[in-house]
Amino acid sequence: MGSITCLGIVLLVLMMIVGGKQGVTSFLSMVVNFGILFFSIVLIAFHTPPIIVTVVASVILLSITIFWSSASDNASTTAFQASCVILILLIVIIIPIEYWAQVGGFGLEDSEELEGLSTYIGIDFTKIAIATAILSSLGAIAEAAIAIASGLDEILTQHDKIRSGELFADGVFIGKQIIGTAVNTLFFGFFGSSLALFIWFYGLNYSLGEILNDKVFAAELIAIVVSLIGVVLTIPITTWMMSFRLKKVQDKTMNK
Amino acid sequence: MADMDNKLTNKMTWVQVFIAIAFCFLTAFLFMHNDALYSQPIFEVTKVESGKTSKMTDEFQNVDHYHQQTLYGKIVNGKYAGHRLTIDNAYSDAHAMDHHYVKGQKLFITLHTSPKLHATVKDLKRDAPIAFLFALAISLLFIILKWKGVTVISSIVINTILFWIAIMIDHNNDGAAVILIFSILAVIFCFVTLFLVMGWSRKMLVTLSAVLVATAITILITLMVFGITHEKGVYYESMQYVTQLPKPLFIAEVLIGVLGAVMDEATDIVASLATLKTEKPELSKMQVFNSGRQIGKSIMGPLINVLFFIFMAETLPMTLLYLKNGNTWQYSFSMNMSLGMTSSLISGIGIVLTVILSSLFAGLWIKGDER
Repeated sequence: MGSITCLGIVLLVLMMIVGGKQGVTSFLSMVVNFGILFFSIVLIAFHTPPIIVTVVASVILLSITIFWSSASDNASTTAFQASCVILILLIVIIIPIEYWAQVGGFGLEDSEELEGLSTYIGIDFTKIAIATAILSSLGAIAEAAIAIASGLDEILTQHDKIRSGELFADGVFIGKQIIGTAVNTLFFGFFGSSLALFIWFYGLNYSLGEILNDKVFAAELIAIVVSLIGVVLTIPITTWMMSFRLKKVQDKTMNK
Repeated sequence: MADMDNKLTNKMTWVQVFIAIAFCFLTAFLFMHNDALYSQPIFEVTKVESGKTSKMTDEFQNVDHYHQQTLYGKIVNGKYAGHRLTIDNAYSDAHAMDHHYVKGQKLFITLHTSPKLHATVKDLKRDAPIAFLFALAISLLFIILKWKGVTVISSIVINTILFWIAIMIDHNNDGAAVILIFSILAVIFCFVTLFLVMGWSRKMLVTLSAVLVATAITILITLMVFGITHEKGVYYESMQYVTQLPKPLFIAEVLIGVLGAVMDEATDIVASLATLKTEKPELSKMQVFNSGRQIGKSIMGPLINVLFFIFMAETLPMTLLYLKNGNTWQYSFSMNMSLGMTSSLISGIGIVLTVILSSLFAGLWIKGDER
């Protein structure tokens, strides 16, 4: 048995112990997400436009992550709508930044690994960098949107007469509580995954200027900061979505 | 009255948005004109002439185009500031290792003085877009979170400094004892971060112990699994940028990577259970544990996905390159994505264990009367 299979079984068993049926669903969501991610790469390899593939895949990935979580119907619908809006905003930010910084492709640090590989594959790596940045932010957006939407939904079930203005204040309050730790999740994730790169920089005496302008580092950094922006934007946008829904429901009951 | 309040906040927000936009562009502008700070020669492109384009096909039938271009411009810093130069450049449609330069861009160049002054392009100067993005993130943090933004930023800065110190220590030890160094760093990271988030309290100590024990058990489980399966399917040779022994480095990467998520989760669970215990002090230890499990159950799935996307997305370009170089799906996965998958699964185990341990420790040690 391979290590990946064995770790997968350990994880599945633990998730079943903690979450029962919900645990199995959460595990499956990761497996299906992997399938979609891999399928997207294969599609891109067949020259399907990378950004279109990424956007379609992102919407599906977000819906799986959000609707297969245990959030209530109201919360997950709001979280999904909000994260789609954030996805659009992030794309608007990412595309010009990636073309400005031109971080697509590989850096000098990758030379050894590229040995024997043909890099002239006719697919624009700047677009692949855009896809990478979008995809790496999805999990963080989904998680933040679910957390805020669930919190607000909880408040709604307890005070169904709440005004949408008050709800907004509550949303920002919940957001302030989750943001500190959500940012940590992101930063440690990225610190961990680029540990080898940082050791490389230090070992080879890169100056601050060299690091800041390094292609590989810049690509990583753009992905982190974009995810961070996504998480911060989740707070007002999820709250707006929720108060908008609330207003619609309240208007309906008033008219009756 | 409420209406007036609303108008006032709206006005405030518009002023803030305006200041934020100005701040972002000012930062970018400053970084675009910081050439004097660099010791490497920088070249500003003032005119570009496109040369001929040739079609090329590699052995895997990938079609690409190779474009020649001539860049005219001047050096803007250092000893040769003001010198006009002409540099030849070539780029492909894939832009994997080359760049298509346009007018107005600034480039780092390597100068050659003999026989006469000429140069080759090294790389694009890309600090301005990075600074712009940073400025945007910082302004958003301030607009939406107000002063809470300061805490978030200072926690990031402190952790970055600690991280850099650990890398210094690691380097001075020639890569020996990587796991030990980063385990100690992990403990310090947790202490500092949790102290900033929760302050010094019993809750914080409960969270800290849950995080540390969960992470330790996760690493033990990982090592056990690796031992039993003889690390079959774990391709350390596919790790990128490795300058020292890959296995301990991989463990250290996962250890640091999962820490944030585990802290995030433990903080949520312990804080909710403390509130619950204050509201209903009559709850038994077992009931507290079970409520913790309920909370954990709903947050663990999305949290595992956060790390999954971070670990997997960055393997995308290399996987694509392998696929386009005539490799099978299986081989492309093994050489690029298998380590990301392994890290995601290990992090998942850490996240689930945290649910159990933080509920358990909260059940045992949290007292309802604590404020």
